[in-house]
Amino acid sequence: MTADTFIPTATEERLAHGRAVVDAAVSHGFFPPRHTVEIADVIELDAGVIRLTIRDPYIAAHGRPAQFVDFFTHDPLKPMPRPFGISEIQDDLVSFIFAVVGKGTGELAGLKAGDVIDVMGPLGHAFDTKKPANYVLVAGGLGVPPLIHAAQHIAGDENSESTAVFGYRKNHFADEYVDRYADRTYSIDESEGNVVTLLDRIENELHDGDLPPVILSCGPLPMMKAVASWAAKRDMPCQLSLEQRMGCGYGTCVLCTTDTVNGRLKVCADGPVFTREQLGWE
Amino acid sequence: MTATAANPETETVDLYDHEWKHPTVVAGVPWKNPVGTASGTFQYAAVRWFYDVSQLGAVTTKGVSPVPWEGNPGVRTAEGPASNINAVGLQNPGVDHYLVDDLPKLKKIGANVVANVAGHCDDDYAEVVAKLADSPADMLEINVSCPNVSGGLSVGADPVALDRLITRLRRMTDKPLIVKLTPNVTDITVPARAAVEAGADALSLINTVVGMRINTRTGKPIIDHVTGGVSGPAVLPIGLARVWQVRTALPDIPIIGLGGIDTGEKALEYLYAGANAVEVGAAALFDPVAPLRVACELDDLLDDRPELAAKLAEGKTWR
Repeated sequence: MTADTFIPTATEERLAHGRAVVDAAVSHGFFPPRHTVEIADVIELDAGVIRLTIRDPYIAAHGRPAQFVDFFTHDPLKPMPRPFGISEIQDDLVSFIFAVVGKGTGELAGLKAGDVIDVMGPLGHAFDTKKPANYVLVAGGLGVPPLIHAAQHIAGDENSESTAVFGYRKNHFADEYVDRYADRTYSIDESEGNVVTLLDRIENELHDGDLPPVILSCGPLPMMKAVASWAAKRDMPCQLSLEQRMGCGYGTCVLCTTDTVNGRLKVCADGPVFTREQLGWE
Repeated sequence: MTATAANPETETVDLYDHEWKHPTVVAGVPWKNPVGTASGTFQYAAVRWFYDVSQLGAVTTKGVSPVPWEGNPGVRTAEGPASNINAVGLQNPGVDHYLVDDLPKLKKIGANVVANVAGHCDDDYAEVVAKLADSPADMLEINVSCPNVSGGLSVGADPVALDRLITRLRRMTDKPLIVKLTPNVTDITVPARAAVEAGADALSLINTVVGMRINTRTGKPIIDHVTGGVSGPAVLPIGLARVWQVRTALPDIPIIGLGGIDTGEKALEYLYAGANAVEVGAAALFDPVAPLRVACELDDLLDDRPELAAKLAEGKTWR
């Protein structure tokens, strides 16, 4: 492309198309379908752990903690959405943290600022943080994004506080992000133990103020079951954001289910947040 | 990928105020355009936030069984090359719930509803059809081709069993009966002919193709049910060939073609293969508005094909 041309680039055309898709849906009272947005930033936080930021005014305005966004690769051989949890929102920028687990996430990790990508969201139900509380944000591994976002959300609520309790395999890659918002940050890696070790260690401090502790958690299934069990023994409210292999992400295909006391429910549309009681975990 | 919401070359942004120009007729039932949803990929409660589903030619709802079914446990899906593999196992809240929830809601907004009927055995299908016979559903689709439930596929692959089932259901209702066929047979014209001779008013094809993926780290199947049904762009040529074969064998039976449709142009291929109408399935997993977008694109493509459009409007087909 030469400097003196006014012909829009393919990227600009696709971004204009993406904005038109969102505007057309919203102006008719509907939720925006899949649309193209711009990549604002991609950084590697740890080996194979990526923080990716998109520019999307709609998702930025509506995204809540534990909600996620479907990402679509550019490869027609990989048509399925990759659902990623929102980790932070700044103005019209929305960030995500994910691990490279296969070729699809590998392609997304290789994107650069200025590239385009198709997304849809925000999807799913958010954590309930309406009640004044000391929200204890318990994350394991790649379960950190919704809890960083929860810390950011709670930081804007003068009636509540947050205490981050993060567990890692090795590098404490998300501490600097959650520490911007959380009132207290504790973290641990496998050389010392896990998040339950940490919860035991700081249990007394959780009751220091007047606010009752409420656990919000996301991470590998065995970790979340252990956290739910820890909460159950103390009769502490506990909301868990589940992960499951998904199809559509918006509730039409019924591919991602979890067993609950109310039967088999969709993780994407009925969740991803469920209470300990709904899951029947003790 | 041609089917994303992000390709300005092939796509219409204005999906919401389209004036339909090219209707079709399937087994005597008028469709305002030749595009519907494919059963199994449509949940009204999920899709209603994205567009007015009454704009489609028809809405084929998820299979309903006599009692609620929980579906298969564990991991139900994997990705294949240009495809999705699913093993839901027809999870649904049962026909009684359907009759007081989805069906009245869809009829209230003016949708043309095809109710998909599921079962493990003949008595299951009969129990559901008995309840739907007096309902406001516009057409009934008998799903004898689900690869993910016991008894789901066996009837559709066995012309004798199919004849017995459709003969029984035919006596129970005057509503148009569509029989949904599986591609997992040597010669699809055999069950197609059996269904038509037993009284089917129309055929829909194809259901999913049996497939699987294996996790090479564990050496085990990704889907807990081991195999599932493959759908998505990869199955387009399979669906087209099956529609062509059935149209060649049965020149007069109305056919709803499906498999791999994610653009108006691919829908047009099915119409040239001899279908009266088409359905959009897996594409809705990759973009919720895919069925509506395909309908808009096809409607515009038919402007330049008046001979085909005229045949469809009279309930006839290209071949």
